Amino acid sequence: MEYLYDHYSAALLGVVARIIKKEELAEEILQDVFLKIWDRIDSYDASKGKLFTWMLNIARNQAIDKTRSKEFSKSKKTDDIENLVSKVDRQDYTELQVEGIGLQEVLKQLPEEQRFVIDHHYLKGYTQAEMSEEFNLPLGTVKTRMRLAMKELRNLLKIT
Amino acid sequence: MNVEAYISSGILEAYALGELTGQERAEVEKNLALYPALQKELALIEETQEKLLMNAGVQPRAAVKAKLFATIDARKPEAKVVELRKPESSLPFWRMAAAASIAVAIITSYLAFNYWNKWKSTENSLTELIAQNQRVAQDYNTVNQRLDAIEKDLKITNNPAFNRVVMKGTPNSPGSLASVYWNESTKEVYLSIQEMKELSQQNQYQLWAIIDGKPVDAGVFDGNFAGLVKMKQIPSGAQTFAVTIETRGGKASPTLETMQVVGNVVKG
Repeated sequence: MEYLYDHYSAALLGVVARIIKKEELAEEILQDVFLKIWDRIDSYDASKGKLFTWMLNIARNQAIDKTRSKEFSKSKKTDDIENLVSKVDRQDYTELQVEGIGLQEVLKQLPEEQRFVIDHHYLKGYTQAEMSEEFNLPLGTVKTRMRLAMKELRNLLKIT
Repeated sequence: MNVEAYISSGILEAYALGELTGQERAEVEKNLALYPALQKELALIEETQEKLLMNAGVQPRAAVKAKLFATIDARKPEAKVVELRKPESSLPFWRMAAAASIAVAIITSYLAFNYWNKWKSTENSLTELIAQNQRVAQDYNTVNQRLDAIEKDLKITNNPAFNRVVMKGTPNSPGSLASVYWNESTKEVYLSIQEMKELSQQNQYQLWAIIDGKPVDAGVFDGNFAGLVKMKQIPSGAQTFAVTIETRGGKASPTLETMQVVGNVVKG
């Protein structure tokens, strides 16, 4: 468990923080996420995907549930969203640069359309459906762009 | 299924992104199990996603980790107990064991009583059945003996060597009727009663054969029997058979006044 935490807490907090956009609340949720992982680790089924994907989905769902709760929507109104997004990417947190690859560097190499979906999904916490709705794109288009972006990223991140 | 088109639809990405409904997920999982190509593609997508997010992580403050593991440690005893019970918990264990023993004892007693009752009623049924069986066996024996007797009688009545002498009622007892089966060569005599009156305890019937005008004793009998009864042997030469009533045990010469039935031997 401690290994999981040391290895994945940063990645999962990154996911949660981008959805929640509040440092302390995100950390609180991260704690809930790991408690859930601890409780449900028996139900993880390796045939249905990687452990990271499984944990990622727990983290995302936990964060999205929070955004839908009353408590959250109240506090959300008092803050300016743009500020919070930038805050997450600011010095309060240390953005990791594993293997010396700057994420922004990688994303810059993607075509504009593809960077848009990756950026909104992974860095801003949008679901595909939310993107489709908010930016007036057909859901199929979002999906296709996501698919192309993932393929491109595969090359950029040198995954074979 | 067109695997290429399935992959191109971006559904595997949506799956890895956790954006499918339960039903859609189940569908994808079913297809993953069927097509190795999908598994391979999904693995690549997941790896990309993992690498991307590992590069976009935000390090939580050290306090978060400390707090998390403190919470997990606090929950440990009731949540994830893997080791056996420790000695200090032995008292509740024995209490549980005692309660369990009592429960087992009560249940066992009840079951024992229940089974004893069932056994008892089964035993009763068995006794009844055995008695019934014995009755049936006895009846069978009786019938069988009766059948044997009838078969034997039938052999006699059907045997042409036996001469049937029908003895009809005398004026003393017009309703009476009896027959004698007499084998002249073997001297055997069998008697069968069709209708004879009941006698008092002191008296018996006596069968006589008349040979050359002289009565010869052929044995005594009681009125109530079925089938044939073997009487004394009578040598050839008898012309008539008759039955009289005598005192029990019979007499040397017949009391002709009490003659009940009489019949002449019809030769051939």
